[in-house]
Amino acid sequence: MITKKSLPRRTFLRGMGTAVALPFLDAMTPAFAATTRAKPPVRMAFVYVPNGIIMDGWNPDYEGTLGALPRILKPLEPYRQDITLFGNLTHNTGRALLDGAGDHGRCCASYLTGVQPRKTVIDIKAGVSFDQIVANQVGKQTRFPSLELGMEDARQAGDCDSGYSCAYTNNLAWKSETQPLPPVLDPRALFERLFGNGMALTPAARARENLYRRSILDFVTDDTRKLETGLGPTDRRKLDEYLSSIREIERQIERAEKDNAQIDPHMEKPYGIPADFAEHFKLMADMMTVAFQADLTRVITFLVTHEGTSRPYREIDIPDGHHPLTHHRNQPDLIEKVTQINSYHVRQFAAWIAKMRSIPEGDGTLLDNCMIVYGAGLSDGNRHLHEDLPTLIAGRGGSHFKSGRRIVYRKETPMCNLYLAMMDRMGVHVEHFGDSTGRLDTLDLT
Amino acid sequence: MQFPAAAKPPVGVVFDSGMARIDDVLALAMLHGFDGKDQARIAAVSISSGDLRAAQFCDVVNHFYASATTGPAAMFMHFTPIGLADAKPGAKPAAESAMFAKAAEGAAIKNFNDTADPATLIRNALTAQYDQNAAVVLSGPATDLARLLDMYGAKDWIVRKVRLLCLTETGMQADAAAAAKVLADWPTPAVTVGREIGEALPFPGGSIARDFAYASDHPIAEAYRASQAMPYDAPSWAMAAMLYAVHPGDGYFKVSGSAQRGSLVFDREQKERIIKAYIEMASAKPVPRKPRRPPEDKDKDKKNEKKDEKKPDAAK
Repeated sequence: MITKKSLPRRTFLRGMGTAVALPFLDAMTPAFAATTRAKPPVRMAFVYVPNGIIMDGWNPDYEGTLGALPRILKPLEPYRQDITLFGNLTHNTGRALLDGAGDHGRCCASYLTGVQPRKTVIDIKAGVSFDQIVANQVGKQTRFPSLELGMEDARQAGDCDSGYSCAYTNNLAWKSETQPLPPVLDPRALFERLFGNGMALTPAARARENLYRRSILDFVTDDTRKLETGLGPTDRRKLDEYLSSIREIERQIERAEKDNAQIDPHMEKPYGIPADFAEHFKLMADMMTVAFQADLTRVITFLVTHEGTSRPYREIDIPDGHHPLTHHRNQPDLIEKVTQINSYHVRQFAAWIAKMRSIPEGDGTLLDNCMIVYGAGLSDGNRHLHEDLPTLIAGRGGSHFKSGRRIVYRKETPMCNLYLAMMDRMGVHVEHFGDSTGRLDTLDLT
Repeated sequence: MQFPAAAKPPVGVVFDSGMARIDDVLALAMLHGFDGKDQARIAAVSISSGDLRAAQFCDVVNHFYASATTGPAAMFMHFTPIGLADAKPGAKPAAESAMFAKAAEGAAIKNFNDTADPATLIRNALTAQYDQNAAVVLSGPATDLARLLDMYGAKDWIVRKVRLLCLTETGMQADAAAAAKVLADWPTPAVTVGREIGEALPFPGGSIARDFAYASDHPIAEAYRASQAMPYDAPSWAMAAMLYAVHPGDGYFKVSGSAQRGSLVFDREQKERIIKAYIEMASAKPVPRKPRRPPEDKDKDKKNEKKDEKKPDAAK
């Protein structure tokens, strides 16, 4: 129901098979609360890259205020004021701890769970990941408690690393200690999930929709018109930009589907997955943006490629597999290639951050109200090290974080201490998580 | 803290000390000696005094004993961080012992954040030990171990992993509350090295010129010479604790008291044997280590490469 008074936060534009949630609009602030402007919610996301990072290209040689950034982080330099870089965070539970080889399986499975996974390919066991602890509490307020995204095949069975199940290397989020949440890879599937009415399209219905190439926005035209009449010029512009971004996502998916059909009609991937890595990343990032903007969820995990992947990067003229390259044995040419892959990933991430900070929300930007962690479960992929994990947060967690800094903690500081601090900012209070020893301090403005 | 799953290895030793006396330095050298001879493994080394120079010294010692390892094994060599206690707010800065005057020059540790919180370090080290295959040697204030006991879940790890705590009476009084807590709450058998033991078993200063001469810049010998005017013999509380922790059943010492709380008893007949063990272990030469990279990775890479060749879209 749309009125000229305060607009409910959970307003949807509805049409046949469609439910489009709205971004945070000024009209959603109650009129009687003009002086106490409604505060946008805090959201969090994890962007995970595999096989470690060339740390010489990641760690600045200074602490404190961020200035010039090292080569891999260079693409983030224009946004350094929005970033907090962490040093010396460690995942002890990713280490062998008597279980021998399998660091890739362990580091991914322990990354958000904070526990050492059971070494097995059959009866998998890790722990509830901290994103799911948060989702269980704040997820009641959104359409989706959490979203799990990825960009590479996510086999769930078989041995992916020295006796560790593929369920460990191919998932970040764990709903229970035996139930990982596989990531959605196909942008079309994600789009339909975000904007559908919850009912899966039948093949016939999808074919009909494709035939007429109708946008979901066509189905919500009536609701859009009604809503616009009650909005001020700022909100109208915001709404227009938001709906345009949805339309742009649709176009990108359509383009990918068309291209894929031309490239190889028999390909195994769903047609909606763009052949180009950067294009795929952008699509997923655009949908994460919309999901946060419209408060469809407050918790996202994004496994860029799975841990231990041997994916080549021909997009940047690197035909070698990623994982074999990371065992570079200090050969400069191989280190250079891994550095290029690391930089390429960060470039895609930086483009997303640029978009997030371009969207006004409340008194700041959408990014201000987020905590977007970018990181990996290994630091040195050559030696399989689980300490000084490459970790940064983009955003200020609802203007809590004093960003624009590099904070180096003591060696062996548990990564789970960061998670406890993040949970606090998500309004979820937990005393212990994983192998935490306390909350990470010195993050806040005060 | 990583090693391939294999047969049960020798005891993993956690050494927490004030690193305030040459006795602590010699015990550290002994631990490296035991490690090189596969009689023990270094699980963790931590310092309860807050003296950064002491941590730098331990780091230099680590690198000294690693210097015999070369080639691919050196590339994959991994140094566990040194634990260093926080200096208490307002406390007088830890005295920078003359023993460690040279340490800052060669150490990778440059500041406090290059070290680890001792309690976290020890907890993590214990998680990597086989059950009942760890020993803790405490020489100095019990502050770090008291904090470990307070850490969530750590007591369970202690019960599961540690078979013995061996502690020196001297030095504990610097933190009486922590000492009382550890003696009361430590959940495994504990054996105390009394003052008389260390005094009855002095490490012979003459050994420094004789047994450490294989390296002109031996950090242990340099610390010994810098500690006080030569020649002198050094009492050996920490060394006795280290020897007993690694070889409790080898008859070096007898134990009085209960199974849970005992005290070392000096056996005069063992004096020569003990001093010999001190010298042999403390002056042991660095030993080359084997590479630690799991061999399975090579096979996995080959498999993955083949898999990618079969899947044309994987290259996109």
